[in-house]
Amino acid sequence: MRRVAGPLLRAVGLTKRFGGVTALDGLTMDVPHGRIGLVGANGAGKTTFFRLLLGLTRPTQGSVEVAGVEVSSDPARARSRLGYMPEHDCLPTDQSATDVVATLGELAGLPASAARQRASEVLDLVGLDESRFRPIEGYSTGMRQRTKLAQALVADPDLLLLDEPTAGLDPLGRESMLDLVSRLGGFGISVLLATHLLDDVQQVCDHVVMLDGGRLVVSGTTDELLERTGVVVVEVDHRVDALVAGLARRALAATVTPDGAVEVAASGDGDLDVIRDVVAELNLPLHRLSTRVGTLDEVFVRRAGVAEVT
Amino acid sequence: MSAATGTVYDRGYRPYDGPRGGRKAAIAALVKSTLRRALGIRRSWRQKFLPWMLLGIVAIPALVNVGIAYVTRDSPLDSIEIVTYRGYVGHSSSLLLFVALVAPDVLCPDRRQRFLSLIFARPLSGSDYALAKLGAIGGLLFAFSFVPQMVLFIGQMLVNRGGALDYLTEHAAVLWQVPVAVALLALFYASLGLALSSLTSRRIVAGASILGVLLVSSSVAAILSEAAGTSPATEVINVLALPLYIRDLVFLGHIGDNFRLAELAGGEGMAVVAYVAVVGVSLATLLWRYRWSEA
Repeated sequence: MRRVAGPLLRAVGLTKRFGGVTALDGLTMDVPHGRIGLVGANGAGKTTFFRLLLGLTRPTQGSVEVAGVEVSSDPARARSRLGYMPEHDCLPTDQSATDVVATLGELAGLPASAARQRASEVLDLVGLDESRFRPIEGYSTGMRQRTKLAQALVADPDLLLLDEPTAGLDPLGRESMLDLVSRLGGFGISVLLATHLLDDVQQVCDHVVMLDGGRLVVSGTTDELLERTGVVVVEVDHRVDALVAGLARRALAATVTPDGAVEVAASGDGDLDVIRDVVAELNLPLHRLSTRVGTLDEVFVRRAGVAEVT
Repeated sequence: MSAATGTVYDRGYRPYDGPRGGRKAAIAALVKSTLRRALGIRRSWRQKFLPWMLLGIVAIPALVNVGIAYVTRDSPLDSIEIVTYRGYVGHSSSLLLFVALVAPDVLCPDRRQRFLSLIFARPLSGSDYALAKLGAIGGLLFAFSFVPQMVLFIGQMLVNRGGALDYLTEHAAVLWQVPVAVALLALFYASLGLALSSLTSRRIVAGASILGVLLVSSSVAAILSEAAGTSPATEVINVLALPLYIRDLVFLGHIGDNFRLAELAGGEGMAVVAYVAVVGVSLATLLWRYRWSEA
């Protein structure tokens, strides 16, 4: 892993105002290397944060560093460490993916021959086959997304900024894209994945930064955030009602979910022992006994205090 | 499973440990890609045809002139010149059409297709982008104005009855006048063409604007010139003629007698001021339009 010491990203009092609108409000955080999810509803400040990281706009107050490089003081150097995949269409449709990716490799400073070689390699990596030599105007949405990812990778960045990379993809394409993103960490490339799809983040990222209305809601590891809920899920073959009644007799509240599982409010190992004993007393075949883990949606709703993430 | 359904294959990843250029390398790469685009390289034949045809037309007078000089080299008659070095600078409307075709093509799609967001995610600033485009188009205009002049010069030198050395000695001044005049012409057309193209994301609008500014200003100047009692100073609004006034200053030291502005004392100064103003405003507009990447 080619990592510099210290955090991958460091924001200190980062604020950006556009006239009377505050897009980012005093963001202070350290983000480690790895796969980081940047989540929040539309207008939360994700795109503004990306623009600040790329040095395309200056902060109103505060500062941000990428891998130890202060962006405002040396935006070109900061950009040389970044690969950026925007959400919107941004590819010249009259050129082939090979030409576009190679050209963007050269614009990132690679020699021409190396840029063409790298373009070929990263287009292979993202799975764009012979169609890479055809003009982009004939590409499907999935092929365009993969071309955008390839151009972000061509200069071998330290950090990839991915803005809604699964937008417009069918389920198979989405899974494949997320699988590739999840493996980029193994290649030594950190990923900052901006999305409003919390499932994508939960599936791929090991650190989550949540924004709401330009403010930091929470920043932490995915495991920390997906905290235990205090609910145990029990799945048995039959006689679910008898199980609920047996648990009630032992002072444990239980409910049956629509899919036939039993959720029990439990705290501590003692309650787990009681559940095990009741199942054994009723001679029920036990299929599952596990703690229910929360979702990032629940974490976001609870912490941000919003009803839903759009 | 076909690729079209969105499959991503894992074929491994190899980090890049080779050399990396900085901002200068990025600018050079942008100049190169702009030249390729302008000349239709790696594009369909339709996109190659027009620029190369227009540039080919520019070379025709030089080739014809040299051909005539070769055929009549043993004739007792005076040699026939269908074009002079001075007249050849800004002589062909093909260059104007080339600017109107190519300047929009190298700028407008980047903005329209939002390709700028990928360009400015590289170590390039807005001014780097604008100046790289200016360098590429200005360089092309220079090359395609200068090369036919060199063909003319070398051809005339080789077929000269008095010998090549005599011709070289007699026309030595041309060796600095032509590149200087051609460079000033290229700077004028490139900066004006790119500035107007930067104001829109539609190529057709940009192309029409370039021809419109040049032709309308020329027509208005002609109408004013015809009107009784108008001062020759009105000629400075003729944007089409401005680089020709400058060309005359380079070759003759004054504006040619075929222009009314020559009648006016201080006409040369007015021409220089107008030229500098057009180029200055054009460059400022171009840089302003791409300032956002550094905002």
